[in-house]
Amino acid sequence: VKHIATGLVFRVWCGLLALLALTVGTSFIPLGGINLALNLGIAGAKAAIVLIYFMHLGRGQRSTKLAAAAGVVWLLVLMVLSLSDFLWRGN
Amino acid sequence: MTAAARIAHPAHRAEHETPLSRQHERQASSFGMWIFLSTETLFFGVLFVAYSMGRLRFPEAFAAANLHTNLLLGTLNTAVLLSSSACMAMAVQTAKFRRRRATVALLGVTVALGLAFLAIKGLEYRSEYLEHLLPGNDFQFDAALRQGAELFFWMYFVMTGAHAAHLLIGIALVGMLALRLRSGGFARHPAHGVELTGLYWHFVDLVWIFLYPCIYLVARS
Repeated sequence: VKHIATGLVFRVWCGLLALLALTVGTSFIPLGGINLALNLGIAGAKAAIVLIYFMHLGRGQRSTKLAAAAGVVWLLVLMVLSLSDFLWRGN
Repeated sequence: MTAAARIAHPAHRAEHETPLSRQHERQASSFGMWIFLSTETLFFGVLFVAYSMGRLRFPEAFAAANLHTNLLLGTLNTAVLLSSSACMAMAVQTAKFRRRRATVALLGVTVALGLAFLAIKGLEYRSEYLEHLLPGNDFQFDAALRQGAELFFWMYFVMTGAHAAHLLIGIALVGMLALRLRSGGFARHPAHGVELTGLYWHFVDLVWIFLYPCIYLVARS
């Protein structure tokens, strides 16, 4: 980077606020289960933008990416196994 | 040169301050911060799993309870926190170019936005307390949905409370960083501290990005 990336930070900020408006807007349209998918998908998109443009995960060393990925992978294991037990327990 | 060799030859100790070893130090500390953030992901992850189970068990009650949260203030707070992260990202940029005064100013705005978030959250807590939505003996809700709604508000207070505590720590860290930078600290490489603190700040923002739809957007349509 040779100059201060003011424009990039500004565009990313606008993008994040646009996604916020989108998630609020769509949550008032009755779409059933798709509302939940949209909300989670938009949250995921916002998180990806923060990770890439603000936390510069892509520019990090391999060990950094591994540390970040480990957190997410263990979290997924926790979620999938806990919820599969819960959903197939049969009350 | 290995560490043992460096100790054996004190004359080489001065090399400790070479750009290369500084770069190693920088990589090691950012690696450490990412490991810490990974453990934090799991800490908040447990809360999100507990929330999901409650929501699967009591879908109607969670939907009804969600309508008692303040969507306007929650959305405003999301915008405030996203803006604070953008400010923090700018501060990292200006710090890299050794624009000390600009960095201090941007960190100041970041702190102000963090405090604004907590103030708005406090307003929400107050109105929820007055509406008897604080779990416990005083909790009041439609009898048929009471059990699930109380669980929703229990998760709400625990998760937003844990998030607010993290934000408070972030505000203290950024504030101290700004004061140190203003008084001429980090003379050689000011960007490093700003970058590390920024990682923590953005993580707190990430947690809120997922909390927001879970709390405010369960069943608005």
